Amino acid sequence: MLSRSAQGVYWMARYLARAGYLSRLLELQVQFLVDRSVEEIHFGWKRIYRCMKRFPPPGEAFLPEADEFALADAFTLADDLTFERSNPDSVWSAIAGGRENARQMRHCVSGEMWTCLNSAWLRIRDLEAVDIWRTPEVFYAQTRSEIHNFVGVADATMYRGAAWRFMRLGRAIERAQLAVSLLLAQIDLSRRTERRTLGWASMLRTHHALEAYGRVHGIEMKPDRVLDLLVAEPSLPGSVLATVQAAAAELEGLGAGPGVEADAAARRLAGRAEALILYDWPEASAPEELLEQVNQSARDLHDAVLGAFVDYAIEDSPLR
Amino acid sequence: MDFSLYDFDPAIYDEMFVAEGQPREHCRAVVEALRELPDDDLNTIQERVTRSFSQEGITFTVYGDEEAEERIIPIDCVPRLLALAEWRELEAGLVQRIRTLNLFLADVYGDCRIVKDGVIPADVILGCPQYRLAMRGVGVPNDVWVTICGTDIVRTHEGFMVLEDNLRVPSGVSYMIANRKAVKAGLRLLYRRSRVQDVEQYGSLLRQTLCELSPGGRPDPCVALLTPGTYNSAFYEHMFLAHEIGAELVEGQDLLVNDGFVYMRTTSGLRRVDVIYRRVDDDFLDPLVFREDSLLGVPGLMNAFKRGNVALANAPGTGVADDKSVYAYVPEMVRYYLGEEPLLQNVETRLCRRPEDLEYTLDNLEHLVVKRVGESGGYGMLVGPHSTPEERDAYAKTLRADPADYVSQPTLALSRSPCLIDGHAEPRHVDLRPFVLTGNETRIVPGAFCRVALRRGSLVVNSSQGGGGKDLWVVDL
Repeated sequence: MLSRSAQGVYWMARYLARAGYLSRLLELQVQFLVDRSVEEIHFGWKRIYRCMKRFPPPGEAFLPEADEFALADAFTLADDLTFERSNPDSVWSAIAGGRENARQMRHCVSGEMWTCLNSAWLRIRDLEAVDIWRTPEVFYAQTRSEIHNFVGVADATMYRGAAWRFMRLGRAIERAQLAVSLLLAQIDLSRRTERRTLGWASMLRTHHALEAYGRVHGIEMKPDRVLDLLVAEPSLPGSVLATVQAAAAELEGLGAGPGVEADAAARRLAGRAEALILYDWPEASAPEELLEQVNQSARDLHDAVLGAFVDYAIEDSPLR
Repeated sequence: MDFSLYDFDPAIYDEMFVAEGQPREHCRAVVEALRELPDDDLNTIQERVTRSFSQEGITFTVYGDEEAEERIIPIDCVPRLLALAEWRELEAGLVQRIRTLNLFLADVYGDCRIVKDGVIPADVILGCPQYRLAMRGVGVPNDVWVTICGTDIVRTHEGFMVLEDNLRVPSGVSYMIANRKAVKAGLRLLYRRSRVQDVEQYGSLLRQTLCELSPGGRPDPCVALLTPGTYNSAFYEHMFLAHEIGAELVEGQDLLVNDGFVYMRTTSGLRRVDVIYRRVDDDFLDPLVFREDSLLGVPGLMNAFKRGNVALANAPGTGVADDKSVYAYVPEMVRYYLGEEPLLQNVETRLCRRPEDLEYTLDNLEHLVVKRVGESGGYGMLVGPHSTPEERDAYAKTLRADPADYVSQPTLALSRSPCLIDGHAEPRHVDLRPFVLTGNETRIVPGAFCRVALRRGSLVVNSSQGGGGKDLWVVDL
């Protein structure tokens, strides 16, 4: 497979995973606006911004002891995270990025996948926050659903070649990074509040893990159990372990890349991230430190994958 | 569809009607079926066709002053019909013409007999900016210089005429196939009953043709389609064709030349490329030979090509044969190389480089179409009857400054075909661009990208100038 095509498919998957994840976060957050306390709403915005590593836009203060997260109203924050064209991680920008990569690599994805994604893009392309604000949760749910559809259509129609694996690899790495970032934000923020359980239920909902949690642990919400489930449960598709294992499996399926050193590094990093969770996590005294290590491994894995398959030195490459 | 108000004009050839209300023989069944189709149904079909283009992202890019814009070519759902016998006649003319042009290219980059024998003046060829000195003495696989040709054909009461031979990187074939797919889905029963000749085998024929160029006959050659990139106006087509022919869609940055061979960078290392279907103009192909500021090309590509290690389709330098000045000599070329009379006529063309032709052109600007030799896409053109005196004065000034850069032709009454405009049938001017493939033999799918001047009265069919498209049905009725 052409290296640039592999890179395009990989980025397409990363962008779409980002758009889907952020849509899910915003879907739950705008539901909170209806019936949750100001503290909880505030907590939710703060967690999203931390996860996305972004500062909120300035706005009018409406809380007496306002910090930057309270300086803007919900509409402004949602707009910034959803439609802001200059925000490279907004839902709009991520879908635009995914669609543009797919447009350039249409010959590498199935026609059904392209139509599915292009239809989603055509729906969102000209929208602004004011267009969705009467029922924002409907918009976010639909966007998330369209991305789920895309993944399902890919599963049903895409040829299981190298493009398939690069797509899955991109998705897994993006989801691993986002899940770890959100968990780190949650751990840090919940330590700063007196309500230690604040935000943990919505963490489960974000990862579609509420039912799984109930099945394993019952109805009592214990932060350490939630954390354990979201990090180390291999049967939960959105857990950090599941995403790291998915990345390792796709790397294995791809076989060796021509960038020999980077290829070895990629396999080592994927293995290390998996081993950290499987073997160190159960005994970890400082979970955030271990999650930081996993996060670093996922970031390095991205560079190593590109070095192994895309940006390798030509001198080292075999001629075919 | 209501044809009762259809504006039939006996002075202009109508593709569907021979007289007011009287369909041509091969159009009768289709006209009857369209008449029975309620307007609402046809409007729905039209909307569906447009929507399918939008959903599938079948676009071209238009560059404005500030930013590029992805646009959809407006497609009219009413097909244009051609009888199979008419098609056969056209096909024979196209085959004759491409044989001639390939012989001409081999000659002008070889012995130049045609110049020595005084058929074409040397300055017409040497003065053509598309003449590539780098190609002098270079042989091409199977003597095929033009692998893919898109010939613009118009029709008047006098018959078919060639308006332009596009021998460099002709585009539009993806719209031929997309139009067919969309219109066929809309007019299912009518399509089936009309025994329409198929065009969807174009991709496999193109693949077969390209493989025949494989250097040294290497079996199972690696074929790549070289695109200038995603910002090119025809990028959709490049992607579409790469998919159709199972080729990698590469940009210059994906290729490199090592020891006289071309390789592409893949996820499993460097892979040798045997055939490149290039959609990049000559100027940008190889910065070591052509424009040195080109970022789109591949340094060393021409060296690999000259050594016979990679085939380029079309070969560099083919533009000399579709130059608007050289075009005027094609009928003479047919007689010279083949000893035959041309089956397809040219549009009468005056070369403003000749003083008498310049004078005639300046005296008759309001009746003529004047074109710049090096332009395409409808740019740099004056359509005399549709121009104002001020526009003609300004144009005359630039024409006098560089007469060799212009040719003039009479304003043709291009044939018209019914289109669905605001819910009813209106005639619009049309042309057609069939695609001619040449490898070991010449292959033409029975169809074409039919272009339509959608603005009322307009003769300009170019998509960048407000033109649209239509499906062309070659029917065996």
